[in-house]
Amino acid sequence: MRGPHGRAPPLTVVKGALTGEDALGRRASGPDRTRPAASDFEWSILMARAQDGDSDAYRRLLEEVTPYIRSLAASRHRDPSDVEDAVQDILLTIHVIRQTYDPTRPFRPWLVTIANRRLVDRLRRQGRLRSRETALTSDHETFQAGQANLHQEVSYRHELRAALDNLPPGQREAIRLLKLKEMSLKEAATATGRSVTALKGATHRALKNLRKMLSHRSEVQ
Amino acid sequence: MITTPDLIDALAANLAPVRRLRPPATRAACWLLLAALVLALLAVSQGIRPDLAQRSRDPTFILGTAGALLTGVLAAVAAFMVSLPDRSRLCMLLPCPALVLWLSTIGYQCLTNWVSLEPNGIRFGETARCFATLVLTSLPLSLAMLMMLRYAAPLRPTAATLTGSLAVAAITATALSLFHDLDATVMILMWNLGTAALFVGLGGAFGGKMFSWAAPRSMTRGA
Repeated sequence: MRGPHGRAPPLTVVKGALTGEDALGRRASGPDRTRPAASDFEWSILMARAQDGDSDAYRRLLEEVTPYIRSLAASRHRDPSDVEDAVQDILLTIHVIRQTYDPTRPFRPWLVTIANRRLVDRLRRQGRLRSRETALTSDHETFQAGQANLHQEVSYRHELRAALDNLPPGQREAIRLLKLKEMSLKEAATATGRSVTALKGATHRALKNLRKMLSHRSEVQ
Repeated sequence: MITTPDLIDALAANLAPVRRLRPPATRAACWLLLAALVLALLAVSQGIRPDLAQRSRDPTFILGTAGALLTGVLAAVAAFMVSLPDRSRLCMLLPCPALVLWLSTIGYQCLTNWVSLEPNGIRFGETARCFATLVLTSLPLSLAMLMMLRYAAPLRPTAATLTGSLAVAAITATALSLFHDLDATVMILMWNLGTAALFVGLGGAFGGKMFSWAAPRSMTRGA
């Protein structure tokens, strides 16, 4: 049982421990097969062999602990794909830190601590992600094709036109020339015969009125 | 996504023999040997403080230094214990009694020194040397601790970092009290408390990230 580095602690292998037989040579079956004490000792030996590079023992150990890990994961996750992800995460962690296992100590507490730490870490990470995400509702839906969003644009246009009609004539004209027809201040002044300052003032007041009217409407809606 | 049986096959196929970690007490002893080596080298290069013989008759000084040293030793043992999956997390409490002793003497010195503080108490030259001792002691010890504790990355990064940092801080404080006669000023107290707070605080804040840097390669790939 000594590893390639000659540092493996001495291990006593009980007869039949690796074949699932008890001390009297009877093969364990049914629920007895998974008795904690027996499987713990067996897993301990398998892990010690795996540390020495025995890949068959390692494969058997991982296959045997997987249902146990899955039951631990299932108690914390509901989604089956989450459970399987968690199981694989725990198996990878076991693989990476397998040198921290001391074969003179029980295997199960080592395994359970690793499993619990990884499960708690996963749950925390999921919690953080979910706290930053917002569920998509029909209000958030927009479509790339312009026509699909047309009814909303049309209603905005109607609203804006109605608001413009409610403005005093001077202000309405200023908005029409400067904003809708995109004339410069000078051109608009020539067209209307009003001074640049007067047009500027009228535009400012018109925008203020429009903002007030439209915000009032959106509040009503 | 790879299925679990495939993953098991892949892991078993690429299995390489590993060296088992030595018991935590042995690993702590190795780290403390390194600390002793660093302190010895510093003693050779910087020299012990001139009034050490005189100070060693002061019970407060002895209590404080012994407390710091004991905290360092116990915190190192605790760090290596807590980094293993099958040891209780309560191992973290191991250095607490020594820590209380160390911190209580600091508090006492602080009171007495507060009264006798003089305007020219803090000299820049001594402060710079003090800082050099601080960095020379804590940097190699921190790096060694980080590499030795890297297997704690997927398990208890915060607990391992806290105890590890406390060990480094306590050893650093011991070095400062042996090599510098600054305790007539408040500077040593600032370092004593400041280094501990700095290491524990930084360790707590960046513990996870530091370990993810030092963690085994396949861990970061697998996670």
